[in-house]
Amino acid sequence: MLSGLEHERYKRQMILFGEDGQERLKDAHIFIAGAGGLGSPVSIYLAVAGVGTITLVDRDVVDRTNLNRQILHSDCDTGRKKTASAHEKLCGINPDITINVVDTTIDKKNALKLVGDADAIVDAMDNFPTRYILNDVAIKKKIPLFHGGIRGFYGQAATIIPGETACFRCIFPKAPPKEVFPVVGVTAGVIGSIQATEVLKYLLRSGELLTNRLFIWDGMRSHADEIQVRRIPGCVACGSIKGLKRKRK
Amino acid sequence: MSVRIRFFAQFGELFGTEIIQESVPGTTFTGLIMEIAAKNKEGYDAIFDKNGAFLDFVILMKNGKRLDNADAGKTRIADGDEIAVFPPVAGG
Repeated sequence: MLSGLEHERYKRQMILFGEDGQERLKDAHIFIAGAGGLGSPVSIYLAVAGVGTITLVDRDVVDRTNLNRQILHSDCDTGRKKTASAHEKLCGINPDITINVVDTTIDKKNALKLVGDADAIVDAMDNFPTRYILNDVAIKKKIPLFHGGIRGFYGQAATIIPGETACFRCIFPKAPPKEVFPVVGVTAGVIGSIQATEVLKYLLRSGELLTNRLFIWDGMRSHADEIQVRRIPGCVACGSIKGLKRKRK
Repeated sequence: MSVRIRFFAQFGELFGTEIIQESVPGTTFTGLIMEIAAKNKEGYDAIFDKNGAFLDFVILMKNGKRLDNADAGKTRIADGDEIAVFPPVAGG
């Protein structure tokens, strides 16, 4: 049940998807892996949209070199834990939702428990090994994974519905080499906004998801493209599973 | 024969985002990209390993369909084909 204040806060978007849609967002729990470049716009947009519970995990402290892109954090947060900074900002942005933060490194041992009862996972990580772990958790729990990746003015995004669509490992069987990647905040803004849009569409059960398609953004040319992808028979991650059992709320 | 090749992200910076390559009929996917990369050591090293095979993370597409990297050396390219070479980006 939405409060009077919530009706007021969400008035302009409830024109689009009504009270039912807003309730769906309020009932949802989204797990965001990373409070950095992508995690910032994703968490801000999901918070303002009224996603009822957001769990945000990050292990780092805010460094001045983060501030060109990680818009959850301010100059005065330098040296603070990103989770503390993120919690403060997101609670300020929308006090009507629940923000959980966990200050830890996501690994094979803790990932399943960290994701808990979340309805979906947002990949806002900066490395492939952790993305493969998130993919495995999404498959095991049969919940969607919303992927995003950035480098310089380039970005990519894809939505993964385990058992139905290409999984992260179907799309990227092998990880690219590690590097200190160049990055500019606007690219994180573009890709993070696409990921948040995908989450909202999934929760609202409307629109066409970015499934079996890899969205590719070239900011230098202002050009968006997409590559068709498909499930790989015998994929080591998703080859043996069928479609989502869990129905969307 | 004439083939349209699209390079994405940093590969586009190294080779150009879209080029039309004239080549002899029967050229393989690997051979075609090698023809282009031969003139560009930095580009070659970004795409191929020291044995002349595509690096395992590089994504290859032919006429809108994914091509397994292991098949690139035996896949013949025909006139009018469209191929794409794409590097995943890992940052966040």
